[in-house]
Amino acid sequence: MAFQIERRDPLTQAQGVEAGYAQTARRWPSQPLARRPHSVAELSGPQVGRRLGEIRGDLAGYGDRRALGQLIRVRVRVLDEDGAPLPGAVVEAWHCNAAGKYIHPNDTHDAPVDPNFYGAARMVAGDSGLVELRTIKPGAYPVPDTGGWWRPPHVHFSVWGRVWLSRLVTQMFFPGEPLNESDAILNAIRDRAARERCIARLVPSRSSELVYEYQLVVRGRKANPKIS
Amino acid sequence: MRLIPTAEMTLGPFFPREFAQGLHDLAAGAADAIEIIGCVTELDGRTLDNVVLEIWQADAAGRFDNPEFPGWGRAATDAQGNYLFRTVRPGACAGRAPHVNFLVLYSGLMRQLQTVMFFENSEDPVLACVKARERLIAKRETPNRYRFDIRLRGGEETPFFDD
Repeated sequence: MAFQIERRDPLTQAQGVEAGYAQTARRWPSQPLARRPHSVAELSGPQVGRRLGEIRGDLAGYGDRRALGQLIRVRVRVLDEDGAPLPGAVVEAWHCNAAGKYIHPNDTHDAPVDPNFYGAARMVAGDSGLVELRTIKPGAYPVPDTGGWWRPPHVHFSVWGRVWLSRLVTQMFFPGEPLNESDAILNAIRDRAARERCIARLVPSRSSELVYEYQLVVRGRKANPKIS
Repeated sequence: MRLIPTAEMTLGPFFPREFAQGLHDLAAGAADAIEIIGCVTELDGRTLDNVVLEIWQADAAGRFDNPEFPGWGRAATDAQGNYLFRTVRPGACAGRAPHVNFLVLYSGLMRQLQTVMFFENSEDPVLACVKARERLIAKRETPNRYRFDIRLRGGEETPFFDD
């Protein structure tokens, strides 16, 4: 099956250099991005599952190895632009602990490390394009040298779609968080509905975990057959 | 049903180190392996630590669907901004000159940056889309080593693509 990649509405994506996020002005290219025709190189893609296996789908732990924090389960569905699920899609997730501290050695935030929390997961989607991440709700944390920018609780996701140009790296936010309103990253997306799609939905749960649902929509749809 | 692609957002500064380890070698001991090295810099030429680079390329025969060759790799820059891939030189394919597709992910990049490395100045429909085409052509440092530096902004800025 051939897939095609179409241009996106720029309002649904960040522009590049963003107000309130100083690093973007040092790193986003100053020259306009070039457009190119799509060949087999861009419209095929790696089978990353051959190199990237599942390594963790549960960051919360059990018994006396339980991570601290609100226990949550995030149900993420990976779909393409046709709404078709992507079974076998590889999904990477990472986030900070309940106190706002990452496992990364570059994190200098003065918040406690949780010895029972390791915030990096890699999952493979099942038949319906679904992955489930059992974890704890991440905390908020201040961004250094920004004069009061606090990141709201969020989970980073990295996913591969069907072709090279379907690659998606993004962040998922939580509903009802006051910091969502002022976050320079979430608000770099100018279209309100596009921002709201980056916020997970809390769904009723009878289990001991708060359950959130979320969609990752990767680029690409079935190519229209050429009429000749 | 038509869904709108999810908004991209930055990788941030805390991409787990384990995710970028052990994935830079696509060559699997091939006798004709090559190295692709380079340095990633921002405005004013400052080098960048822990930039995540992913590549996608054809095999030596120009095939993108060879089950014996991954075609994909990932590396992160070190504290001096340097990265290294080991791979094989891709073949030409379907009107495309031999090339390696690069994707750059980093803190401060709200969207992934796409660029393409070529081995020599060639007739190619993607290379033809950029003005500073010499910046997409790797420098051959030794018979088996190519240098492809990536400047995100300013100076000899690397050409990037939007699709």
